Amino acid sequence: MALELQSVTLTLHGTPLIRSFNVGIINGEVVTLMGPSGSGKSALMSMIAGDLEAPFSATGRILLDGEDVSHILPERRRIGRLFQDDLLFPHMTVGENLLFGMPRGDKAARLARMQQALEDAGLAGFAPRAPHTLSGGQRARVALMRAMVAEPRAMLLDEPFNKLDAELRGVIRGFVFDHLRERGIPCLMVTHDRADAPAGGRVLRLMDGEVRDD
Amino acid sequence: MTRIAGALPLLALWAVPLLAALVMAIAAAASSAAWTALLVHPQLWPALGLSLWTGTAATCLAFICALIISAGVYRSPAWPWLQPLAATGMALPHLAFAIGFGILIMPSGLVARLGVGGDTPPNWITTQDPLGLSLTIALALKEIPFLVAMIWSLLAQGDTAAHLEGQWRAARSLGHGAGSTWLRVVQPQIMRRMTWPLLIVFSYGASVVDMALVMGPTQPPPLAVIIWNDLNHGTAANNARGIAGAILLTLAIGSLAALSLLALRALGVAARPLLSAGPSPRPAPRFIAAASVGAAVLIYSAVLMLLTLLSFAPRWPYPAILPPALSLSSWQMLLTSSPALWLSLGLAAASSIMALVLVVLWFETQPRSRDRWLLVLAAASLALPQVLIAAGQYDVLLRLGLTGDIIGLFLVHLAPVIAYAAIVLAAPYRSFDQRYIAAARSLSAGPWRRWRLVKGPLLRVPLLTAAAVGFSVSMVQFVPAQLIAAGRFETLPMAAVTLTSGGSRSLSAAFALALALPPLLVFLAAAIAGRTRWR
Repeated sequence: MALELQSVTLTLHGTPLIRSFNVGIINGEVVTLMGPSGSGKSALMSMIAGDLEAPFSATGRILLDGEDVSHILPERRRIGRLFQDDLLFPHMTVGENLLFGMPRGDKAARLARMQQALEDAGLAGFAPRAPHTLSGGQRARVALMRAMVAEPRAMLLDEPFNKLDAELRGVIRGFVFDHLRERGIPCLMVTHDRADAPAGGRVLRLMDGEVRDD
Repeated sequence: MTRIAGALPLLALWAVPLLAALVMAIAAAASSAAWTALLVHPQLWPALGLSLWTGTAATCLAFICALIISAGVYRSPAWPWLQPLAATGMALPHLAFAIGFGILIMPSGLVARLGVGGDTPPNWITTQDPLGLSLTIALALKEIPFLVAMIWSLLAQGDTAAHLEGQWRAARSLGHGAGSTWLRVVQPQIMRRMTWPLLIVFSYGASVVDMALVMGPTQPPPLAVIIWNDLNHGTAANNARGIAGAILLTLAIGSLAALSLLALRALGVAARPLLSAGPSPRPAPRFIAAASVGAAVLIYSAVLMLLTLLSFAPRWPYPAILPPALSLSSWQMLLTSSPALWLSLGLAAASSIMALVLVVLWFETQPRSRDRWLLVLAAASLALPQVLIAAGQYDVLLRLGLTGDIIGLFLVHLAPVIAYAAIVLAAPYRSFDQRYIAAARSLSAGPWRRWRLVKGPLLRVPLLTAAAVGFSVSMVQFVPAQLIAAGRFETLPMAAVTLTSGGSRSLSAAFALALALPPLLVFLAAAIAGRTRWR
């Protein structure tokens, strides 16, 4: 299993929100987790990413390719995230946003990779543009490519399609899932909307602190 | 009609006199004799250099410390505590801090008693050193809380806080440590918005008079002190030279500020490749930040404790660590034989209440688009050297027959208080959710009832903060108060400055504490009264 959660229990002010959650996600698979507001879905994402803050607390183990990463800093886990907002850094250009997360190395090679990523996203020539000059769909694609060029070992999607209109939603969803599958990146996605889940993918439902197959 | 009536009091009591003061100051400096006299003043250039040096060094030092502290504490459990801590530091007036800090580090001060001992004080030059180092350090220490509070409020504003929280998580998930995320994501986004606070700090540091009289060098003194002497003690020719000096100082501060902004921009461009250099695990400077906060808290506490002890010690011979006997004599003298305390308290209460009324009236009656002028004038009046504004105010009030008059004294206390009240209240007042008012209106509440029962209570925290800031700003007015009082009135800062040059150290400490305690108590009262009672 590439991303595995073992006996994860999440509490808010000492009250359990999620009890003993276990899941394994293989490379390239997208598992969807659904549940009502306030059920702890986003907090679970923060716990996996490593930046869970008070008043939440959690126990359990997170394994990446068998390695326990539960106690290492978020920046060392290499778990990429996409949020409801694209969170592009407004003071950086599109190109700088991509280079921000790309591992260090030869400058020319990094620039070439950045250009290639933009081309893959249909955004060739957009590197010097400021994020605020982009449309919602373009921003969403830049956010995904920024996460991808950081070479994540797993990906967390926290309702990333929520703020997109219906037409764009389908396009971006396909774009994201295709990239995750091609690169073999295991992914956990939380959403309110059943339609966001990839066709044929596993869907889990969080109810009263228990996670069950939908 | 309502709009005109709402703006008129603020314009009549603040904006017009302020603009008139600036015009008068510039007009008075038009005399070529004044400029000739200024340019042949033997201490002019070294004094100007000293002013710019102390202002620049203190601003840089304070800003670097404020950035390190903010970087180290941001998003840590201590972050919510940083703002009240900074506000407490801000509540201690500059002059009171300078008097206490001076006594702390002077050759016979507490540092020497604890660290050196011996029968006689060491042969140190601490306060009034020729390079102005002690003044620079005192200024920097005093401005750190202000800059930290400014950074904190920028980062804590609703939308900004939410955006930055998301960006912070995104940057961490992209492999950046907390320190790297601060440096590459957070700091670049606040730098431009720190321009006004930095300008205010720089201008204040380069033109301060009261702190310079206590801690600054004397041969030459900073230029603001020479100007102040010309304005305060001189003939008409000296007055004109003083105003010319104030214009020169303003131009020099403006030019250096513009150059510094260009240098900062250039630094930003040069540092641009850092943004895209790739992930760095650099951690937050937690230890340095904690050490800096600890050192600042220690110094502020030592200053307050020393002033307290000294105010009860008519005699405290070197090298005793504690005074041999305690007495209430200084406090008795302060409370019974000097009207300065009561005059300052009265002026502070009256000017902070009046400022609040005028500024609220403005926000209630004026469209938001007009705030820009109000805020630019407010910020400019704080960023311009006080000696320049005070010289113009003196000219205006002299023509109105209000020098040596309590109304004139009140007006010069009111001017900076209004500026601060406008700056503090603008954002919360304009971002107030008008749906509450719509709801109250639908329940048949009239304008006064809507304000008294809905808007006022919901804006209680910023209103109380503005009142507390205004109170403490009024308490410490020195340069304009001294000029307008014309020897007929004495406020606390005037008495405190006089006492530092030759008066009893115990009495000086009591006056410094009397300057410090009312603002501290008002801030405390505002914090207690402003506690949120609903969620």
